[in-house]
Amino acid sequence: MRRNTMNTTMSKATKSYLIEFGGSMLAYAITLIIALQVIEANPQAPWRFALAVAPVIPICFALWAFIRALGRMDELQRRIQLNAIGFGFGATAIITFTYGFLELVGMPSLSYIWVLPLMIALWGIGGVVASLRYAR
Amino acid sequence: MKNALRVLRAERDWSQADLAERLDVSRQTVNALETGKYDPSLPLAFKIAQLFALPIERIFQPEDDGATPKA
Repeated sequence: MRRNTMNTTMSKATKSYLIEFGGSMLAYAITLIIALQVIEANPQAPWRFALAVAPVIPICFALWAFIRALGRMDELQRRIQLNAIGFGFGATAIITFTYGFLELVGMPSLSYIWVLPLMIALWGIGGVVASLRYAR
Repeated sequence: MKNALRVLRAERDWSQADLAERLDVSRQTVNALETGKYDPSLPLAFKIAQLFALPIERIFQPEDDGATPKA
C-alpha cells in the first residue's frame, strides 16, 4: 500500500508563494482600478504621474514573492527556473530587438507596456518545456 | 547515472512523496532522480545515502562502466 499524502496536500512552500504572490496581484488589481478611475477624473492633475506608476509598487511585491520562492525551491526546481528565466530573457530580448528594427522601416510603434506580459508568457513557456524535460 | 532509488524506496514501501518529504525536495525531483533524468548534487546524494544507510556508490552507478577511472 502506497501513501499519497503530499500529492493531494499542497507543500508549505507552494502555499506561502501563492499567498504572497496572490496577495500582491490582488493589491495590483485594486491599485490599478483606483488609479485609472482617479486619473480619468483628474486628467490634468500634476500628481497624475505618481498615480500612474502606483500599480508598479504591488508588482514589486510580486517580484519579491517570486525571489523568496526561489530561495525555498530544491535544486532541480531551481535548475528548471534557470532554464525558464534564461529562455524568457533571451527570447524577449530577441523579439523586442527585432521588432525595434521593424519599427525603423514602418511597422507600427508599440507600447513598452507589452514587454512585461511578453516576458512573463515566454518565461512560463520556458518553465513548462524545462519541466517536461525532467518529467516521465 | 543509473541508480537504485526506486528499488530502495519500494523495499521500504515509501511513495515518491514520502521519499521527497524525507529528503526535503519536491516529488517532481524524486521522480526525475528515479528515472535518471536528473543527477543530484553531491550534498543531496550524501543525504540520500545517509537516509538509506548505504555508501553512495551502492545507490548511484555510472551508466557506462568505461567511464569509471581505472584503478
